[in-house]
Amino acid sequence: MSLTKGGSTSRCGDGCRPAPFNGSPKNRRRALLLVAALPLLFAVSAMLGPSGVGLPDTASVSGRAILDLRLGRFFMGMLVGAALSTSGTVFQAILRNPLAEPYVLGVSGGAGLGAALSILVGGAFIGAIGLPLTAFAFALLTLLVVYAIANQGGVPSVYSLILSGVIVSAICSSVIMFLVSTADIEGMHTVVWWMLGNLQPASWAEQFVSLAFILAAIVGLWLFAPALNVLTLGREMAHYQGLDAGFVTISSLLLSTLLAATAVSMGGMIGFVGLIVPHVMRSIFGPDHRWLIPASAIGGGAFLVLCDALARTIMAPVEIPVGVVTALAGGPFFLIVLRKKMKYAWTD
Amino acid sequence: MPGPTDRLKPALAFRGVTAGYKGRTVLREVDFEIAEGEFVSLIGPNGSGKSTMLKTATGLVRPLEGRVELFGREVSSLKPRERAALIGVVPQKLESPMAFTVGEIVMIGRSVRGRWGGPDAADHDSAERAMIYTNVLDLKDRLFNQLSAGEQQRTALAMALAQEPRIIMLDESIAHLDINHSQEVLRILMNINREEKITVLLVSHDLNLAAQIADRLMLIDKGRLVRNGSPGEVMEEELLRRVYDCDLRVRRDPFSGNPVVSGVLDAALRRPPVRKRLHVISGGGSGIELFRRLLIEGFDLSAGVLNRLDSDSEAARALDIPAVLEQPFSPVGGEALAQARRMVEAADGVVAGLVPFGPGNLVNLDLAELALKAGKPVWLAAGIASRDYTPGKAAAAKARELCDGGAVEWSNIHELMAQVEQTWPQPETQH
Repeated sequence: MSLTKGGSTSRCGDGCRPAPFNGSPKNRRRALLLVAALPLLFAVSAMLGPSGVGLPDTASVSGRAILDLRLGRFFMGMLVGAALSTSGTVFQAILRNPLAEPYVLGVSGGAGLGAALSILVGGAFIGAIGLPLTAFAFALLTLLVVYAIANQGGVPSVYSLILSGVIVSAICSSVIMFLVSTADIEGMHTVVWWMLGNLQPASWAEQFVSLAFILAAIVGLWLFAPALNVLTLGREMAHYQGLDAGFVTISSLLLSTLLAATAVSMGGMIGFVGLIVPHVMRSIFGPDHRWLIPASAIGGGAFLVLCDALARTIMAPVEIPVGVVTALAGGPFFLIVLRKKMKYAWTD
Repeated sequence: MPGPTDRLKPALAFRGVTAGYKGRTVLREVDFEIAEGEFVSLIGPNGSGKSTMLKTATGLVRPLEGRVELFGREVSSLKPRERAALIGVVPQKLESPMAFTVGEIVMIGRSVRGRWGGPDAADHDSAERAMIYTNVLDLKDRLFNQLSAGEQQRTALAMALAQEPRIIMLDESIAHLDINHSQEVLRILMNINREEKITVLLVSHDLNLAAQIADRLMLIDKGRLVRNGSPGEVMEEELLRRVYDCDLRVRRDPFSGNPVVSGVLDAALRRPPVRKRLHVISGGGSGIELFRRLLIEGFDLSAGVLNRLDSDSEAARALDIPAVLEQPFSPVGGEALAQARRMVEAADGVVAGLVPFGPGNLVNLDLAELALKAGKPVWLAAGIASRDYTPGKAAAAKARELCDGGAVEWSNIHELMAQVEQTWPQPETQH
């Protein structure tokens, strides 16, 4: 038997062939289920709201407006959730750490600062593209600062990255607080409301720009999926496997930062989605990023839409910020995942 | 497949390579060539630059000066995938934080091919062959993280083999394995080297393992290649002492003839002799444990008469115990005996080990008699009769005579130590 070249080789039947990326037939069924759940979710989203449970009466003007609003929320939730969750998935792969997430690394905090600045200072003048781009610029800047703090010569350890991420994140939120406290009433209200996390549909232009950014980034990251699989073995191993590890790392960091920044500029500070959804999806679909990235995107969107539907309904007619729901639902859920399923998806 | 032109080119060549990291030069002017099909081991103390050399060879670290060539092509000019098709690396320890199966990990070795979709038939075949070679096919659906260290290393090797490289480099990849697992990995390496003509570069700090398996050793010290040659040429006592900066010894393994290096830990264990001096009569390996115990207990020792090349004489040499030696397989001659008598006269007592007696070494018992006559204690290992190969059982008779004269018999080393302790109580330890 020759090892150096393929061609005619002995086979021992399909039974003993190495698995492709595993569980593909099972994953196909699960993915189908996930996609099939979306119309259902769409219906639920259309039926829930502070104005009451059930489909709004489309005959009346106000009913049509309510339906419009609810559908807009569905769209926003899907977009923001997909962006946050995909971003978390990729951060976890690159840093090879289950705790990595745009929030933890300070990326969301930086994006929040950028967005708050552009809301307070720039106003309408910055435009639909300006808001996510400012958020992106600030998120990138934060990432660089976090990296610089963590980098004490050589490659920074994941723990120092996360630690400095938490610190920079805290600094960003205090700067936001400062901005808020010095702003006029209207600006203050906008920023605080936005910061708590809400999926009030943005302007059509803004939604369109965000959709373009988010779709492009998710597709881009999906193309990197096999490379991300290799990267989970570490940057050195990836190099030995013929990967331009630096290029893949930097590009996917940029793309996932763009995702996080766009999500923050649209929906404000919504926590936990980027942390929980990737874990859940990994325990369902396994660690192969060719499955994991689309699954996380859809799953993240669905999760956020569901949380938002709850947020609108639980205390109707008062709406609670969706960030509160994701944290309340996500925290305990995360603990369960941590205890039960994580051992299948992560080493420890 | 290698083209006809690069057949003659060395698989790996360092030409005046100086390399390192920011502000720290690690390798200095390193020059060597490895021909295709060779099995070379890179050895050197911790921090000597072994791993840096490996990283430089794979293009992970760029040389500050000089060139690194893979099959005649400069490494930095190769595309990442071209490079990975030539050279595969098995790391010290492969870590997969996510729950990939063995089959998936091995298939990652096929990502050299760089297709986005699932693996094709050729990929399956290659991965399967690699898994058969490394004996992990049965494990293919198991999670990599749940394997033992040896299985994980074989999987890492399978992943590197699935790349179908022409050189495989191992970075201390078997250092932490049990002897059975490391032997298994070594056997696999020898197979792929012999059968598939894959060049192997094994980075190792285990000198004996390197000397056992490699055709050629390269010894690196403080970033410089200090010796490059056959195991016999590199495993030189003086050279290794200088490089490793410690006392060590090189001997030939009696079975394989390989040079074997060992540290001299016993010498460090030994306290200065605060006690009596004992002369040890032994041979055929019976003295090794005696030497060790008595040295640890703080006795000053002499030994003999022993035959040269006898394992006891080797042990005495290793432990710096003065010994009278006779030619191999020769009866003890007058001159050696006279020398041994002087040793016994200088000693405070005599211990005889579980040595078989024949006509050649029977005179060693006269040494015991000499001590006994001088009023010195003598300890004899019990049961000489069963080890007596002299005509007419002369040794057993002699032993009886000695016991009548006051010699004490011992049947195991603990008993001996107790008897010695009784005769010469341990001096108070000072503090």
